[in-house]
Amino acid sequence: MTRATKARLLVESSNVLPLVDVEIAFRVGSLQDPIGKEGLAQLTGQLLRRGPHGISADSFEDRLANLGARLTVDTAMRTTRIRATTLRRNLEPLLDLVADMVWRPALRARDFAKLKRHAQASLLSRLDDDQTLGAIHLRERLFAGHPYGRSTSGSADSLRRINLRDAERFYTRYLETGAFIVGVSGDISDSEAESLVDAHFPRRTKKMNGKRDVPATHIRRGRHVVIVDKPERTQTQLYIGTLGARTHDRNLFPLIVSNTAFGGTFTGPLMQEVRAVRGWSYGAYSRLTHSDQRDAWYMWSAPSAEYSADCAALELELLDRWVENGLAKASLKFAQQYLINSHCFNRDTPSKRLESRLDIELLGVPRRYVERHDELVAQVTRKKANDATRARISPRDLVMVVVATAKDVKNAFEKLPGVSSVEVVPYRQP
Amino acid sequence: MASPQSLIERLNRGVTKRNARWSFVNSQPFGTALELRRFRLGNGLSAVTLIDRAAPTVSYHTWFRVGSRHERPGKTGLAHLFEHLMFNETKIRGRGEFDRLMERAGAEANAATWTDWTYYYENAPKNALPLVIELEADRMSNLVLREPQVRSEKEVVANERKLRVDDDIEGRALEQLYATAFRRHPYRWPTIGWMKDIRGFTVEDCRRFYRTHYAPNNATVVVAGDFDERQALSLIQERYSHLSPARQIDTKPRPKEPAQRSERVLRITAPTPTDKVLIGYHAPPFSDPHTPALSVANEVLFGGRSSRLYRLFCLDKELALSVRGAISPFVDPGLFEVWISLREGKRQKDAIALLDKEVARLAADGPSDIELEKAINQIELSFLHSMETAGGKAEQVGFYETVVGSGTAFDRLDAYRRVTPAQVKRAAAKYLRPSRRTRVEISETAA
Repeated sequence: MTRATKARLLVESSNVLPLVDVEIAFRVGSLQDPIGKEGLAQLTGQLLRRGPHGISADSFEDRLANLGARLTVDTAMRTTRIRATTLRRNLEPLLDLVADMVWRPALRARDFAKLKRHAQASLLSRLDDDQTLGAIHLRERLFAGHPYGRSTSGSADSLRRINLRDAERFYTRYLETGAFIVGVSGDISDSEAESLVDAHFPRRTKKMNGKRDVPATHIRRGRHVVIVDKPERTQTQLYIGTLGARTHDRNLFPLIVSNTAFGGTFTGPLMQEVRAVRGWSYGAYSRLTHSDQRDAWYMWSAPSAEYSADCAALELELLDRWVENGLAKASLKFAQQYLINSHCFNRDTPSKRLESRLDIELLGVPRRYVERHDELVAQVTRKKANDATRARISPRDLVMVVVATAKDVKNAFEKLPGVSSVEVVPYRQP
Repeated sequence: MASPQSLIERLNRGVTKRNARWSFVNSQPFGTALELRRFRLGNGLSAVTLIDRAAPTVSYHTWFRVGSRHERPGKTGLAHLFEHLMFNETKIRGRGEFDRLMERAGAEANAATWTDWTYYYENAPKNALPLVIELEADRMSNLVLREPQVRSEKEVVANERKLRVDDDIEGRALEQLYATAFRRHPYRWPTIGWMKDIRGFTVEDCRRFYRTHYAPNNATVVVAGDFDERQALSLIQERYSHLSPARQIDTKPRPKEPAQRSERVLRITAPTPTDKVLIGYHAPPFSDPHTPALSVANEVLFGGRSSRLYRLFCLDKELALSVRGAISPFVDPGLFEVWISLREGKRQKDAIALLDKEVARLAADGPSDIELEKAINQIELSFLHSMETAGGKAEQVGFYETVVGSGTAFDRLDAYRRVTPAQVKRAAAKYLRPSRRTRVEISETAA
């Protein structure tokens, strides 16, 4: 049985495996980072993760491991989620440790200095992963000057500016208040969860803070190419993106269906034309993300350097065709069947069911998106899907990021139709 | 649930063809709540069922006992290319129809190939099981292999190789590690194949491979999740029983790797801001009785933030950003791999010296009782997590049936629980010696 025992506690029970997941979720994330101190929310989360007063960080780790537990603090743009998972038999001692960490964190100067150096090193390590590198550049260019374009991890400069006092203030303002939702899933009943959570996480405030008015995102006119120049690339990472939709956009579900038909499945035209017909890339897909303001829509593929620009040209052509001509009736129906039939995999574990419910509480996802998903998908007509695609996806206004060895691809990318600028950025440039 | 004997009696009623008759092999508890049952069809196809009604989904796995170990020099990567080709047309279904039918049903279909096996899986809503069985049985015997498909799929695989190996530092280093550590055994070549070999495959190579390895007596089907066992077995009987077993299945042992007596070192360069080290110590096969103790040693050294080496490398000395260890889960002896990603300006020789010191300490003193308990609890947690979905359970079952040949993952969990500090100490002393290892050092390409 599944029910919310209190407004701030969500429980998803399942006794199939002797495991319990606990999530303490705050509506606070990197959007709360002060300008110039990007990375603060994440750094504070990691400092919290080093444990409570009274025991060393090493002892804290030993105790967690000894319980067969794992603990992470994940910071995203709009949320911070403390996630703990453990063997059922050790749930209570785990909650003792986590509650201590949340209410009485040590926030030690020594740990902070180490974490800052670790965060700087992590920024460098991202340069090894071409796909991540491309995704970061796409967001930065697509949302230039907007909070959505700022990195959750910050930059070398912004991390340098953050001090321990900043982290302490962030904790006091956003985390210590107890303005969070607790989610529990797994081998536990509603009443057990309720009594354990009441004992460990008594309510301190009624208000969920962190709600912040984010300015509207604006589309950058024209087609802009950014080549992230990395030596010795035999292959490229290619992202082509523009703005997509808001969570509360009336076009959202029609656009989800339309995007699924275009590039959301293996049999959609994007994957078929790029991979199945030409063998140009191991994969090719399009993704639609949504947020309070219009978030990103993008295509991804990884073609060889020798035909990267040809692949980009093909994707532009497919994009034009999708937006101008719309979907055929059969494609629409296929996408709807796929979305409805595969929806069971979004809720086949207690932790997935819990995540959906937390999204409603934390991200403002309308309840009907989760509870009436199949109906909303089925209601999309061909006209609605095609109108939504034309209203939201602008093939004329695109950011194209290609991680490649610039000398191998630059000329060909300059010749792509409608390109208004080509910029080459060294891959190690911050 | 009907007893397996009465189940097969009903399924075999009126069935006269030998290939179509089921036999019951055995059953075994799977954890505390579930039961695994093994059956065999007359043509040699093994089927394992595991009913779990936690979610309205079913996972269908087909594990073939063929991987890159069955290839030969000049034809490396064929098992993997073939995995791609299995998604193409059959005698009765056109190109792309397999994926279209699966996606329309809401099923996720994919596959994987490694050294000792290839498996195909579908995670599907429970009502799609008949379709899944029909399509899997069809492609086991009716695949059509033509020049255009082989040509385009070779290009896809070449691109996959660039993505995962040529332009990926860890992928490149791993390939070099195995190519250097192994001199005779087929584990020396990469499962994805050398680029020259990928480019050179012909349609006839693929047809021969299909005829040789894709037969019911070289496969195990696993059905896990929410399904009707009788209906599933009946459908398998209906769809697969016309298939004839292959006359000769390649089960011959591969050449034994000669013992390594001194360390081998290889240096490669790449565009990377920090140095890395990849090390491989020769390790026992997955089913060897020493492997659980070595796995516990791995957990003590590398498992999570409280492990000895994470703490030393990443926190105390700040030498590395990450350290990891893993044992290759192979039929024959593989490698105990160690990956160290250094921080900017830190030196590989300092990292290796620290690694050697800590490994020697474990080999001399073993783990403490608390470390052992911690390691086993962490292994149990990872294990249980891998079992959350029907797909996770089917994968574990398929892997054990194919690589170990008997027992279940829960038996392995029991084996971990029986490991003693003395066994960990002995395993570390025996296997983690510098003379048994190969080292790949990665540093930045000179500007």
